[in-house]
Amino acid sequence: MSADGAIVIGWWELTLAMLFVLVTGGLSIAMSLKLEKDLAIATVRTYLQLMALGFVLRWVFANQTWYIVIALMLVMITAAARVVLKRAPDAPPGLFGNAALSMALTGFTVTFAVTALVVRVPTWYEARYVLPIAGMVVGNSMTGIALAVERVFSDMESRRDEMLAMTALGATAWEAARPSVRTALTAGMMPTINSMAAAGVVFIPGMMTGQILAGADPLEATKYQIVVMLMISAATAIGAISAVMLMYRKRFTDEGVYLEKGLRIQGRKPK
Amino acid sequence: MSEAALLSARDLRAERPGDDGPVAVLAGIDLTLNAGDVVELAGPSGAGKTTLLLALARLLPGVTGDLHLAGVAARDIPAARWRTRVALLPQRATLVPGTVATNLRLPWELQVRSQDEAPGDGALRDALTDVGLGGVSLDRDASRLSVGQASRIALLRVLLTQPSVLLLDEPDASLDDASAAQVARKTAAFAAAGGAVLRISHVRADAAACVRYRLEHGLLTQVSA
Repeated sequence: MSADGAIVIGWWELTLAMLFVLVTGGLSIAMSLKLEKDLAIATVRTYLQLMALGFVLRWVFANQTWYIVIALMLVMITAAARVVLKRAPDAPPGLFGNAALSMALTGFTVTFAVTALVVRVPTWYEARYVLPIAGMVVGNSMTGIALAVERVFSDMESRRDEMLAMTALGATAWEAARPSVRTALTAGMMPTINSMAAAGVVFIPGMMTGQILAGADPLEATKYQIVVMLMISAATAIGAISAVMLMYRKRFTDEGVYLEKGLRIQGRKPK
Repeated sequence: MSEAALLSARDLRAERPGDDGPVAVLAGIDLTLNAGDVVELAGPSGAGKTTLLLALARLLPGVTGDLHLAGVAARDIPAARWRTRVALLPQRATLVPGTVATNLRLPWELQVRSQDEAPGDGALRDALTDVGLGGVSLDRDASRLSVGQASRIALLRVLLTQPSVLLLDEPDASLDDASAAQVARKTAAFAAAGGAVLRISHVRADAAACVRYRLEHGLLTQVSA
């Protein structure tokens, strides 16, 4: 047991947790699901990535400087931007800069707003607070942003006839795309709103659970969790709106024509 | 270019990707539409008739050539403004979610007509009656219209904006003979009032057409005058 009352998980117990995976793997083999290879790789990755993260965070907490903290945030943002675009197969190429800008905008503003104004950390780059909060902001908003980006492009493609009719009547790109933008932002925000509505009733949120297991007072953990949920909703909204607004226009020509699949000629930049 | 030319196109060229590289769909089209013209366009499927209409409405990227509207070059007219004067009615009539009135007034919801006044209910009802849709209420949900009704409402929506040139992509493809005759009468009246019409015809020939062209291998051939 640690000094603050939390039960410490030892290396032996950590190895014992592998039993869960072995049971799942056994079920996969018994039912011919062919998931055992993916499961084994995912398990190894979980151990390696999280252990590496633990060592990195321990080192950063001991040797924190502002530039190391910012550099780690940039690594998170870059990885998240890649995930956002990977989940949007209909998105045009060359949007990495826009995705990274949206993730950076939401990641930096919401993280530092929370650490400075709500948590009130003594040093603005206090790694023990900034990095976990940035991780939650970037990780959770990434899911909403990815949903919104995927939806705006797929919805515009399904509305291509309607958008052609509107553009033929004189609509600007924004006027033609607006219904798809609304649909996309709703889709991006809905999981966060649902999660907020169900928190504390249907499930105990992950961060609160972690704090309670680590020995924190449940009421104190609750306060943190409320801040986290509100911050994630703001981060998702800021990120999804900025990403969709930066990106939807890339599917239109300068003259406001939507480039449906038949009009996208590879290797030629639309005029 | 003649004095009366409403819309003129010179050396219009457009390509589309083919299996063995780009294929010329429009290979140097010259076309003039004068006030009062009803011009019919025919040709085999895939010949590029719709492509030509899209190019004339400035709705197709990558087109080269010169376009003039009433003597003014296309580059001097913003694209959205051009499309209010050279109005394309796509083949698939697409209405937005909402009522018949919402759809008929849609053009006035757009920034390009923010200074113009939308037609009132009386004008909309008269327009509906004029194309045989007197029984359709302005409050009816657009999703409850038949294909033929929707296509006539899409035509009305364009006509109510009073463009100079109408580009119609098979406007009667989904209509019965009586409804098609109403559409033909409407477009003839539009031309008689000083507009110009270019319409693609597959199913029926337009009796009011003054010129008929055939588009094949990227070029226009006059079939009859």
